[in-house]
Amino acid sequence: MKVFYFLYGLWVLMMDIPGKQFFLFDPLSLFFLFVICVISLPSAVYSIGYFSPKGNPPAAEDSHYPPAKIILAWFLLFVFVLSMALVVTTNNVLAFLVFWEIMSLVSYFLVVFDTKHEKSINAGMIYIVMTHIGTAFLTAAFLIMYRYSGSFDYLAIKNACQTMPLGTKNTVFLLLLTGFGTKAGVVPLHIWLPYAHPQAPSHISSIMSGVMIKTAIYGIIRFVIFILGVNSSWWGVLILILAVISCLVGVIYALMEHDIKRLLAYHSVENIGIILLGVGLAMFFISLKLPYLAVFSLIAGLYHLINHAIFKGLLFLCAGSVYKATGTRDMEKLGGLIKKMPQTAVYFLLGAMAISALPPLNGFVSEWLTLQAFFLGALNVTGGVKLFLGICAAMLALTSGLAAACFVKAFGITFLAQPRSHYAKDAKEVSLSMKAGMFFLSFLTVIFGLAAVRIVKLLAKVAGAAAGLDISKMNFSVNNFTLSPQTGKGIYLSMPLLGLILVLLGLSGFMIYKLFSRRKAVIYKTWDCGYYKTGPRNEYTATAFSKPFRIAFSFFLLPYRRTQKVRESFYHVKSFTYETHTTKVFKKYIYDPMLALVFKTAKSMRRIQPGSIHLYLGYIFVTVLLLIIFMRNF
Amino acid sequence: MREVILFGVLITTYLMVIAKRVPALIRSFRYQSFFIFLATLFTGFAEKQVDLCFIALLILLLKVLIIPRVLSQVAKKISVDQGLGLFVNAQLSLLVAFILTYLSWIFSGALGFSRDYRLAAITVAFSVILIGAFLMVSRMKAFTQVTGLLVMENGVFLFASFVSGGMPFFVEIAIFLDVFVSVIIMGLFVYRINKLFTHIDVNKLSRLKG
Amino acid sequence: MKIVLFISQLILFIGLAPLLSGLITRIKNNIRMRKGQSVFQPYYNLAKFFSKGEVVSDTASWIFRVTPFVVFSSSLAAALFIPVFIFSSPALHIGDFLVLIFIFALGRFFLALAALDTGSAFGGMGSSREMFISSLVEPALCLAIFSLSLEFGSTDITAFSGMHPVSVSSFAASATLFLVTLAETSRVPVDNQETHLELTMVHEAMVLEYSGRSLAIIEAASYIKQMVLFFLIAQVIFPIGLPAISGPVQSALWVLWYLIRIIIIAAAVALVEVTVAKMRLFRVADFLGFAFILGVIAVVCAVLGV
Repeated sequence: MKVFYFLYGLWVLMMDIPGKQFFLFDPLSLFFLFVICVISLPSAVYSIGYFSPKGNPPAAEDSHYPPAKIILAWFLLFVFVLSMALVVTTNNVLAFLVFWEIMSLVSYFLVVFDTKHEKSINAGMIYIVMTHIGTAFLTAAFLIMYRYSGSFDYLAIKNACQTMPLGTKNTVFLLLLTGFGTKAGVVPLHIWLPYAHPQAPSHISSIMSGVMIKTAIYGIIRFVIFILGVNSSWWGVLILILAVISCLVGVIYALMEHDIKRLLAYHSVENIGIILLGVGLAMFFISLKLPYLAVFSLIAGLYHLINHAIFKGLLFLCAGSVYKATGTRDMEKLGGLIKKMPQTAVYFLLGAMAISALPPLNGFVSEWLTLQAFFLGALNVTGGVKLFLGICAAMLALTSGLAAACFVKAFGITFLAQPRSHYAKDAKEVSLSMKAGMFFLSFLTVIFGLAAVRIVKLLAKVAGAAAGLDISKMNFSVNNFTLSPQTGKGIYLSMPLLGLILVLLGLSGFMIYKLFSRRKAVIYKTWDCGYYKTGPRNEYTATAFSKPFRIAFSFFLLPYRRTQKVRESFYHVKSFTYETHTTKVFKKYIYDPMLALVFKTAKSMRRIQPGSIHLYLGYIFVTVLLLIIFMRNF
Repeated sequence: MREVILFGVLITTYLMVIAKRVPALIRSFRYQSFFIFLATLFTGFAEKQVDLCFIALLILLLKVLIIPRVLSQVAKKISVDQGLGLFVNAQLSLLVAFILTYLSWIFSGALGFSRDYRLAAITVAFSVILIGAFLMVSRMKAFTQVTGLLVMENGVFLFASFVSGGMPFFVEIAIFLDVFVSVIIMGLFVYRINKLFTHIDVNKLSRLKG
Repeated sequence: MKIVLFISQLILFIGLAPLLSGLITRIKNNIRMRKGQSVFQPYYNLAKFFSKGEVVSDTASWIFRVTPFVVFSSSLAAALFIPVFIFSSPALHIGDFLVLIFIFALGRFFLALAALDTGSAFGGMGSSREMFISSLVEPALCLAIFSLSLEFGSTDITAFSGMHPVSVSSFAASATLFLVTLAETSRVPVDNQETHLELTMVHEAMVLEYSGRSLAIIEAASYIKQMVLFFLIAQVIFPIGLPAISGPVQSALWVLWYLIRIIIIAAAVALVEVTVAKMRLFRVADFLGFAFILGVIAVVCAVLGV
């Protein structure tokens, strides 16, 4: 609530500035403001329990937070949320950049908040470098826009962009895409995301993954669709291709991961891809002058955006609860938590079902809408584009299949079967405030699934305003509980009905079951093939679970193994270690060579830095002289 | 009268260029500051500005009396070899100084001033700045770096007082304080460097890099 | 009246589902020159399971208990989409055919979780393999539906169930659907329903810990799912519209025609099962890649209009 009061106060202040309106409260901004608030509030509530020393496992005594640090965390959280809110509501490019930078810096401090871990520092380093590269691209784009408009005001720039030459427009688009893509974690600019997000405290991870990367989507919609205006169809196609790659790369890496928070972070890459499928499709349709489809695709993208914010926020909070209760994020050491932490398990299950696009939860609706946008789009374009859209849709289907597999792994290995280590054995259910945060978000996953029609109607306004299209003649629903993109075509989705039918049929199954229940079920050990001591060591592990995927996608993952045998004698192997890893292709083939190049250049540049102060002074001196001579000739 | 003062500034600057020992350098700086003081006082009287007269007195106090005193004290305290360690020998330095003066004359022309005393003043001021920089580059001892900075500051001041009739009073005062504090600090640094490395030869401090 | 018809259609559909499975087994056995079991064997099996006691693993949680009902619910919900002799439209605007993919995913998701729940290595293995196969099935299935949607102009159920000309595209799409169905119903090149060999089993490994009534419900659900998928193929390759006037004679004819189509598909599946060898798990990726390519061909043909 503090955030609101402060925002309100700031708003009143800013409105007083004569002449210029500082804020823009159009539907798009309000929508993003809503997303920010709806994730930040439960996360803030959650953090009360997360920071309290109660409930920490005995093994993780050192993870207590001192009171001063907790206050610092609250302060940073406050500034972080505020900066995001300002980013999405400001009406001024310069202010946007400033708030954007504040947001990046504060989130950097939050990433390195647990500085005890070496990893945090590294992750923070990668994050701050990448995010600044992104900001540099944005600055360049904004400067070019400024050259044409002479003003930092959105509407002025929007007007100026009408007369911008096409070449410049393309350049600006590419700069914006790179800049915002870095923040959103679009492949191949995603490398910071899986390092930075898991390192922050969990409620911050949930805000970062749930909301912060969405501000980049806001940027793309605001600056590319709203201000710049789409008139080349290759923009949309480029975004679609990047989005498909992001989806697949994100989900395949997530499958390989057994650090539960990093797994979720990779899923953020995937889901940003799905969101961008909607946005890219909208851009494509705008350029083809198909307003209805453009609005529909944008609705799908925005719907998935808020859904992802909700379920990813929820999942990160659940993962944080697991971490809090067990002291480890390694899934291979967990297991059986459904009995120790029954409520957290239910919340995680709901989140996992939502992200796997299972009906009747929210993820399903938005993925259905996105697929439907592809299907409808294909009916309205001609030629090879149909095939392109079809393959994109197929890749989306593949992604959702892989995501389901990944979350079977994440939930199954973490929560089901027997505990694999003492970490999981000693876990206890988390405190009330943490449960409250998770409950709220899991409640929303259900609500956003069932109330699809209302939400689509609201989003239609947002999408119409963002794309500058008139939506008053467009019809997105047959009646108040059936969703139908094209009335009369017989394409519909009724979430309440679907939910009702699933529940009713499940109940009828239960009744059949009860009808025949003459004997009570016997509780007995799991079948062990006659082996007399089955235990946690016999269970399938996360690595084993993902092995088929590792082999099937080996052309991309390039897995390798390290084995080490310690022999006592030729016949007796005393110990045997076996590790399997996957090659991080983007790091190895893009970033490492680039880094090597930078270092090489830096090394050769070092020659002009021999340490002699005179030489340095001489550089300044010579520069001044050259400038004078230049001045003379000018 | 203005021309005489400007000529004096230029001559003292050349004196600094050909100075080979620390006392000579400091002495020349004192003379240069004195001419600056005269110039400021003159402008102050000519334009009837009390501010400028006050500033002139400050120059007299700080740049003519206190700063040279502090510098020579530090020089005495470290009592090492009094040579400045010339990268470029005195004759060549003087030649360079002439060339710099010529360059600044060209530059002043490029700025588009009318050919009256202002042109000369800007030429002199600018060449003082450039020569200060040149001093910093071409001498080994840390002293020259300090003095070079002071010379540059003198040049900037001259520039300001002749071209625009002086900077705002408060800015002027602030700059004075800055310069004074920086001299004290640099003096201390020079002293420290000497204590630590037993020399103040900047040329040998080449390992301070990334 | 409509509701009664609709419910009787659903019951007929569910009631015939096990028969289909028995029929395939019977055809297989006959091709192998064996006498084979009765076509009603699946009914006997179900009856047996219902009468037997149930053993639940002590490591299992409520996920294990709930799963049979979720799986049952998802299969039945899919069955609601299928018209046998009546298409009751206004009450059942649940969704289009795309929803079907997701509904199946729901049941599969829980089945895989339940398999992990018991902590047995078999369950984990089955669950991992099942999710692997099903995730590779999705793009092919999506492309098949995509090409059909291009052809019929929508993903609507009525559009699918109507009379339409058979084109190259729908032929390719039905071939894709056929391969997908082999994978989804754990048929031979992908899985083998007949063995419990740990090297080969996928679906059976997942349900290994189930017994008694729960197993019966899961089995029934998989019969229904198989029926739904067979209907899809049948409707694409042997299209026939629902009779305009739903008189008893037309309806009876339509049901007959419906059964004949399903039996043809069943025979084809049985033939494939007998003649083709079970594939190694990692060859399945190639198999489904082939299905994907077929799907692409279907889309290309649909784009070209042939």
